[in-house]
Amino acid sequence: MFEWLNQPFTPMTVLGMVIGGVIVLSVILLVVAYSIYAQRKILAAMHLRIGPNRVGPFGLFQSFADILKLLLKEDIVPAKADKAMFLIGPMITYVPSFMVLAVIPYTATHLFTAELNVGVLYYIALSSISVIGVVLGAWASNNKYSIIGGLRSAAQLISYEIPLALSILGVILMAGSMNIVEIVEAQKNMWFIVPQIIGFSVFIIAAMAELSRVPFDLPEAESELVAGYSTEYSGFRFAFYMLAEYVYITAMGGLAAALYLGGWEGPLLPGWAWYGIKAGLFIFLTFWLQGTFPRIRNTLLMTFSWKVLIPISILNIILTAIIKIAVA
Amino acid sequence: MAFPQLTGQMIAFMLISLVVIGSAVAMLFTRRVIYMALMIGGVFIGVAGIYVLLNADFIGMAQVLIYAGAITILMLFAIMLTHHGHQEQTPVNGHTIFSVVAAGGLLGLLYWGFNTVDWAKWQSMSPKTDAPEWGTSSVKAVANSIYTQYTIPFELVSVILIVALVGAVILARKEEN
Repeated sequence: MFEWLNQPFTPMTVLGMVIGGVIVLSVILLVVAYSIYAQRKILAAMHLRIGPNRVGPFGLFQSFADILKLLLKEDIVPAKADKAMFLIGPMITYVPSFMVLAVIPYTATHLFTAELNVGVLYYIALSSISVIGVVLGAWASNNKYSIIGGLRSAAQLISYEIPLALSILGVILMAGSMNIVEIVEAQKNMWFIVPQIIGFSVFIIAAMAELSRVPFDLPEAESELVAGYSTEYSGFRFAFYMLAEYVYITAMGGLAAALYLGGWEGPLLPGWAWYGIKAGLFIFLTFWLQGTFPRIRNTLLMTFSWKVLIPISILNIILTAIIKIAVA
Repeated sequence: MAFPQLTGQMIAFMLISLVVIGSAVAMLFTRRVIYMALMIGGVFIGVAGIYVLLNADFIGMAQVLIYAGAITILMLFAIMLTHHGHQEQTPVNGHTIFSVVAAGGLLGLLYWGFNTVDWAKWQSMSPKTDAPEWGTSSVKAVANSIYTQYTIPFELVSVILIVALVGAVILARKEEN
């Protein structure tokens, strides 16, 4: 039923595709809504505040109220903005963030998961397209804070993509495959976090920078740049930028769980529950860092990626290759 | 001519071709450089889609990563950092006429080329190994040819790229002194 590409194009297959897409979309929107709620509650606990507690029991419906507010707002386009670019910027950012979810294996039965031969590469390639939307939106806003934020974002995301990909290469070497499902299956005996601990450390740091989370949130540093590339955005276009950011956090959590933490493997609980726990740990880590770390200085940002992370990850690849040849 | 069966693959090919041709034409007719950079990104992504349809998924993803991701961003970067006033429509001159003739000639040549090849025999022109040792994975097929048959050309290309990179850095540094 899930072999769609080579089938005759019948109404049933179209229906199957649409239903699959809608299910994944609604699950991810629910996860995003509650990770925003969790972020606010966790940060509040760390700051000794209470956090959202008005909408619904324990403030559980706060995110939905916020989403509704954003959707109902007036769609404002600044007069001096480049209108077409301003309108499509958020879409170019959001669409790849949803597309990368296709290769994340949430369940042991791979329902709605594309078992691509180049799964890891697909993730990295598509997530690099999102930068275009950020840069375009920033440029089209015609605002100096937006442009500085957009330029910072492009420089940071392109620089940290390299250590991210290089640290994943260690995992690919160990598993002998780029297919994420095969990578998870190769971890039956030992999770890759144990032999790949150096790669995992680089991965976590580079992932935080890729997601523009707190030690690396320079693109939208609110104390210097107002809100960075999204300064001029409001209403549902702003919501799309926010949504893309949080979908990427979820997807990156899924990727970390699949590459280093054994994916759906685990005792007693079903596969999807283990997957949720492992991805949830990564999501919690991003909020934890947000509550505890100051922002890195702009001049140190590039140096750290090119002179520290990239050499370490290349060293990790060489070590992995040597160990793999020695063991085999 | 028999109408081709409407599989998902066929529909995907038509949609992707529409995206590629549409973006290319739109790129030619827009007057602002930043729109052109965006449109060429669309062409890159569409071509990657065609690679994927041809079962060359590794090449397709590399295309998205390098061309659609990195190169388009570099172009946008360069455009954003330089000032662009309102671009004027260039008047028709000798240069325009020459490029129209050259493009028309290329079109004619391509049309002639496609029509003289007997496409029914394409399988015998590029024979395929029936059961390659690397299976159906295109990643392993690429790795197999790079690291066995074409190792030396591959390394030479890498050396050329490194020389170009170092040369660019040296040229850029000279201006500072």
